[in-house]
Amino acid sequence: MIDIARKILLHDKMRFVITVSGVAFAVTLVCVQVGLFLGILSSAAVTIEKADADLWVTSKNTANVDFSIPFSENYVQRVRSVPGVERADNLIVWFSRINLPTGVTEGIELYGLENFTRWNLPWKMAEGNLEDLRRGSFIVLDDSARKRFGNFEIGDFREITEHRVKIIGSTQEAKSFTTTPLAFMDYHLIQQTDPIALAGNTTYVLVKLSPGADAQAVRSEIMKRLPYHDVHLKNDWAKLSTDYWVSSTGLGLNMAITVFLGCLVGVVVVAQTLYTSVMDHFKEFATVKAIGGSNADIYKIIAKQAVIAAVVGFMLGAALSLAMQPLMASVELTLILKPAFFGLVFVGTVALCLLASAISFRKIASLDPALVFRS
Amino acid sequence: MKIIEAHNVVKTFAEGRESVQVLRGVSLSVEQGEIVALEGPSGSGKTTLLSILGCILTPSSGEIIVDGQRVLRDESVLPKIRRKSIGFVFQQFNLFGALTAQENVEYALNLKGKKGRDARIEADELLDAVGLSERKKFLPRDLSGGQKQRVAIARALAGKAPLLLADEPTANIDSPTATQILELFRKVAKEQNRTLLIVTHDPKVRAITDRVLHIRDGLILENP
Repeated sequence: MIDIARKILLHDKMRFVITVSGVAFAVTLVCVQVGLFLGILSSAAVTIEKADADLWVTSKNTANVDFSIPFSENYVQRVRSVPGVERADNLIVWFSRINLPTGVTEGIELYGLENFTRWNLPWKMAEGNLEDLRRGSFIVLDDSARKRFGNFEIGDFREITEHRVKIIGSTQEAKSFTTTPLAFMDYHLIQQTDPIALAGNTTYVLVKLSPGADAQAVRSEIMKRLPYHDVHLKNDWAKLSTDYWVSSTGLGLNMAITVFLGCLVGVVVVAQTLYTSVMDHFKEFATVKAIGGSNADIYKIIAKQAVIAAVVGFMLGAALSLAMQPLMASVELTLILKPAFFGLVFVGTVALCLLASAISFRKIASLDPALVFRS
Repeated sequence: MKIIEAHNVVKTFAEGRESVQVLRGVSLSVEQGEIVALEGPSGSGKTTLLSILGCILTPSSGEIIVDGQRVLRDESVLPKIRRKSIGFVFQQFNLFGALTAQENVEYALNLKGKKGRDARIEADELLDAVGLSERKKFLPRDLSGGQKQRVAIARALAGKAPLLLADEPTANIDSPTATQILELFRKVAKEQNRTLLIVTHDPKVRAITDRVLHIRDGLILENP
């Protein structure tokens, strides 16, 4: 079967390049914007996902992991008494201030536990030993803090709200959606940095279930014993923390608008070029009808051209997006491009290009085959 | 056997609020294997008649039978009749610019239901029959007017349509080439027993026809 759709499309190379460029641009725009958004969102719940806790006990209506609210640290005993709980520990997540050697004061988000290794927090040490944290006024900073705080070495000292602490290690991948650098300190040391808010208080209780325990049943029991608190399953808490940033800020809407504009650019370019192509080949399409073709035969030609433009444009756009990944990484931006997302973009690209081609269908429906007799 | 029968065909077009009657009761019949010329001045209705006989337009009233099939007003059946029974040759050739000569013919065969290797072989045979096998890989832009018209004839012959309709086939080619094209028409019509109806102003066409019909103001003047 002669592939007339492809041949007509490729015959006018400049038009083909413009069509494909439009699609590729739209695909790149959508992939990079959504990929960056996902990259930023990935830090919104990374500590929840990495921590070896099945349940998180929080103050009532805590919006996300960063915006913690203190409550009595004694409640951990009630949690420990619930059948099915293997272990439960207090965790403090708290915003504080760090004084830098330059004299500048910056914000810092502190994570405090009595035993970090037991909860897999932090999960990736670059330097130092976590066990040392409980032995003195020590702090472990994430490597990403260097951008905000300047370079630091093991053995350097910093001041956290007038408490002199020694840097004894560094971590990787520990980030917060707020972009405030993360640090890890002994639980009791953090309480000393802000005694008004934290003396005798924690902000979370981490719960590890016994093997075979029913998570929902344990959760219900903890909620009975702590009626003024929330108890979240790990995945629910991660989703809640992530959704907060998507829905409670303008970020989600911003992203939706960007994706919409990207799609619109693609649809307009494809619709415009396909429509002008149809107009330019109008007499040829009339000839198709005159020699026995139907409107459906012509629709197939135009639809196939749209699909070809979509597939080639998508491949170019996807390749361009992937090529931008290391570029983004070099400026500390995470671009998350998963195969499932590419699959979704591919289906969307083909669907939107077909939609764009449908604009030309109306013109074809009115095509008079008697046009073949006109000069 | 009659390949075309037209009885009292009327065609009216709407022009703004007025209607213009282009054909005013045309009746004619053409036998299989016959070569007929349709002559008439501009605006006489010959292209409209050709469009109706070629199942591109439907008549406003009257009856048309093409290759034994009654042409109804239902436009959805027209493509089927065009595929099965009719081959067109146009004044402007109307070849697909992105397809080679071979592909132009093969695509017509594809539309008529013949696919793959069979279509490729038949396209080659048809181009060979019109003396263009050496240029089958050329795009239309690289062919002369006469060569383009040969491709158009090969395309019209595709699918063994019993009725060939040609609209001013010699209008856009030089005189010696026109003579060759007309000879080709005569040859394929007579050798393959195909009916040929040629709308023309060109007096040279008469040399190959069995009879000439004259149309004026929407009426056939002579119908021997």
